[in-house]
Amino acid sequence: MKINVFGSSISALVCAGCLAESGNQVVLIGHRDNETIEPGLVKLLDAQIDAARLSIESQFDVEADFQILSLNANQCQEAKIICAKLAHSTNKDMCLVIRSSFTMGTIKQLSDIAKTDCLVNPDFASEGQAIQAFTRPDRIIIGSSNPQNTRNFKRLFAPFNRNQDVIIEMSEASAELTKYATNAMLATRISLMNELAIAAEHLGADIEEVRLGLGADKRIGSSFLYAGIGFGGTHFGEDLNRIQALINATGARESLLESVITINEQQKELLFRKLWQHFDCQIEHKTIAIWGVSYKPNSNSIEGAPSLALIKAFVNQGCQLKIFDPMLDVNFMIWMKETLSLTQQAQVEICADMYEATQQADALCVVTEWKPFWSPNLVALKENMATPILLDGRNLYDKQWIEHNGFTYFGVGR
Amino acid sequence: MIYTAAYPPLKAHANQLKTQHLADLFKAEPNRFEAFSTAIEGLLFDYSKQKIDSQALDGLIKLAEERDLSEWIQKLFAGEAINHTESRAAGHTRLRDVNNPSPDVSKQWDRMANIVSQVHQKQLRGYSGKPITEVVNIGVGGSDLGPLMVTHALDKDRHPQAPGIHFVSTLDAQQLQKLLNKLNPETTLFIIASKSFATIDTLSLADTAKAWIQQYAKSESATLRHFIGISTNAAKMAEWGILPDYQLLFWDWVGGRFSLWSAIGLSIALAQGMAGYKSMLAGAQAMDQHFKETPFSKNIPVLMGLIGIWNTNFLELAAQAILPYDSRLKYFASYLEQLEMESNGKSTRRDGTKVTYRTNPILWGEVGPNAQHAFYQLLHQGTERVMSDFILFSQGVSTSKRATFHHQLNVANCLAQSRALMIGQASDDLNKHYPGDQVSSTLLLETLDAHHLGMLIALYEHKVFVQSVIWNINPFDQWGVELGKKLASEIMQDIKSGSTDHLDSSTAGILKAVLAHSTGVSDEN
Repeated sequence: MKINVFGSSISALVCAGCLAESGNQVVLIGHRDNETIEPGLVKLLDAQIDAARLSIESQFDVEADFQILSLNANQCQEAKIICAKLAHSTNKDMCLVIRSSFTMGTIKQLSDIAKTDCLVNPDFASEGQAIQAFTRPDRIIIGSSNPQNTRNFKRLFAPFNRNQDVIIEMSEASAELTKYATNAMLATRISLMNELAIAAEHLGADIEEVRLGLGADKRIGSSFLYAGIGFGGTHFGEDLNRIQALINATGARESLLESVITINEQQKELLFRKLWQHFDCQIEHKTIAIWGVSYKPNSNSIEGAPSLALIKAFVNQGCQLKIFDPMLDVNFMIWMKETLSLTQQAQVEICADMYEATQQADALCVVTEWKPFWSPNLVALKENMATPILLDGRNLYDKQWIEHNGFTYFGVGR
Repeated sequence: MIYTAAYPPLKAHANQLKTQHLADLFKAEPNRFEAFSTAIEGLLFDYSKQKIDSQALDGLIKLAEERDLSEWIQKLFAGEAINHTESRAAGHTRLRDVNNPSPDVSKQWDRMANIVSQVHQKQLRGYSGKPITEVVNIGVGGSDLGPLMVTHALDKDRHPQAPGIHFVSTLDAQQLQKLLNKLNPETTLFIIASKSFATIDTLSLADTAKAWIQQYAKSESATLRHFIGISTNAAKMAEWGILPDYQLLFWDWVGGRFSLWSAIGLSIALAQGMAGYKSMLAGAQAMDQHFKETPFSKNIPVLMGLIGIWNTNFLELAAQAILPYDSRLKYFASYLEQLEMESNGKSTRRDGTKVTYRTNPILWGEVGPNAQHAFYQLLHQGTERVMSDFILFSQGVSTSKRATFHHQLNVANCLAQSRALMIGQASDDLNKHYPGDQVSSTLLLETLDAHHLGMLIALYEHKVFVQSVIWNINPFDQWGVELGKKLASEIMQDIKSGSTDHLDSSTAGILKAVLAHSTGVSDEN
């Protein structure tokens, strides 16, 4: 099969690589900027290029059998330009596949412009596990009202549907909404756990114990039940806003999803609030160590990261910050320049080592669950710190172990 | 006033004009609008529907000259101690010198800007560390009416990061209690606005608010994160517990009813941003310049003041109605009630003698279209002769089809009412007879924004000042409000002791009836 994959996202690169690996002739209309973050992706793409099944080009053949749009959510305009060109295709069997998360309703427009039906195949993979999720998916959603498109697509994806049939067929609109509904459900679970964490603290319960009890219920399941200092990244927030906009457009003003976002935003400042209360609202000139800036481990992405809300809160109260993150990148420096005044930037010191960041610190905030943070040397920590206060934003630690070592411990919901 | 050379001929002329119907003046002089209206950038003042002619106007200007109005205007702007009963200047115009502020004024602007920026950035924190999202202004009189009126009027232009802003003034605490029931103590900030920081109305409410926060905050220092003080009395603020960074100052040379131009305007700045707040000051300053520099015959505050004198002292009209045709000015009449009646509702002249003429008329008002369904009946067919100010804006709130329709409807009603009051309509059926001949002025402003509102407020301030000069009274004190405060404090003691012996029988009788129904005090806050 001749396939064009449009886009430069991890999702696009993985899709192009995996389809080439299964014997197709794939052209990627995009570039390879983002590949290093995703485990195994560089190797996959190099191998397919060496085998001459994959090429990266700027032009594309409108006569290819599959035209797969894996553009970013904000590239709606580019999608329309591509579709306008596809309208000139003479390939009667061409299948236009949309894997991008465009604003709901865009699919119909693209279909009109391309003068052909679209097939919606949402990508549910999370970064870090994208190749595994493509080749051995939980489900393959096909949103299509064109039986020939569906047949062609099933044939293309047959190599990834061998163990058991995971294909679910539905309408284009249902497929679109399923994608957003998935993220809305996951985000809601997290915000609900964070609400329950407040109740747990008030009651003297431990949300970690509650989580285990809850997750054992088969109706609920154990994933995405972690209380913490909020989710970051862009997908959850975007998808929640999309569904909210859809609900608002009906004239209804239901606000569950707004609350999910509000709770999450408040949660990002949780460690600040705990310290603020601990020091009776007087934290000016305190030195705070922060471990972890990225919104998740093994990533340099800081978009919507709880660390940013914390840093802003602390510098605004006149604190000195010492920051360590294993993959701290230029994007953080840009964020600082754009967000903080010069005086505030001077309050932030970037450290090359996690223990160096704790020198003379009045408190340590653990913000991202990077592996090196899981088992710290408490003796060294205590020696370094001016006051041994540990704020555990991801409930990584055994509270009693930390307290037994002479630290004041604050977790989430415990 | 009656001993001026200008007075007797004016009085004689008024008696002659009184006999003429307003509609006849228009018949005799079709171009009255050109003769009796004047405009400055953004504002048109039409007084052609006043019972006035060139002779009256010339006489009034002579009266103003004879009363040394120019010198008094100079004294006002020079900061002389023209509030002689309190030995103070009246320095409110100094507060709006946006281009050349004095260091003490600009220092307070910086402090305000700092608080506004922290609140807008969601970085001013309450006891729990959550950012402040709601602000309650506790103040009474000038510490309430100005900021309330302005924030309501400009709500459409509120800053995108502005917190919710609420106003509480009544000492019965009903407004406050209603708010406390719905606000979150973690995220609520109180502004305690009091010139003296001793007003029982404000401090009693501040204490109730403090008790509310104390129920949730774990310490006194955490509690105090929820209170900003604005006063001339730093010592009193500190004594109450206001944190040093949370104190804003103004000065005894700022009268309460002129204090929205000072730090008392913090609630305005929180709602509008500092840029919006400064734009209001700049609008007022533009009016100051006009007042200071324009000859009386084209000087809008001077003309407004003199027309008021003409209506009150020569045509002997009874009351002044304020009729804004824009619901955003819902609180404008209440604001002017204080500005005008607390300033000029007096009968002692600057030399300590009693006046022998009428001074400030009773002023009241309401948003015009609503008032049409309330008291306009009296204006059209009652026995009282009343002067009215119509206030209208050329631009509506939006250019959408529906908004344009509503705006046109509003304009039509405003013009219809001032015309109907002037022209009347004769009928043999007295129930359908409209005598007309009710005088009015119309202020047409370009748009309702911070700048034009600043102009409008300053216009009325200067009108009040002009009238005070003609009446020879001090508009900047308010001794009349003191006796009531003193007696309230005495009766508060009577309530505690249960004794009513020294009171008159009426007061004693009512108090006894209150005490008989008293249900005692519980431990609740």
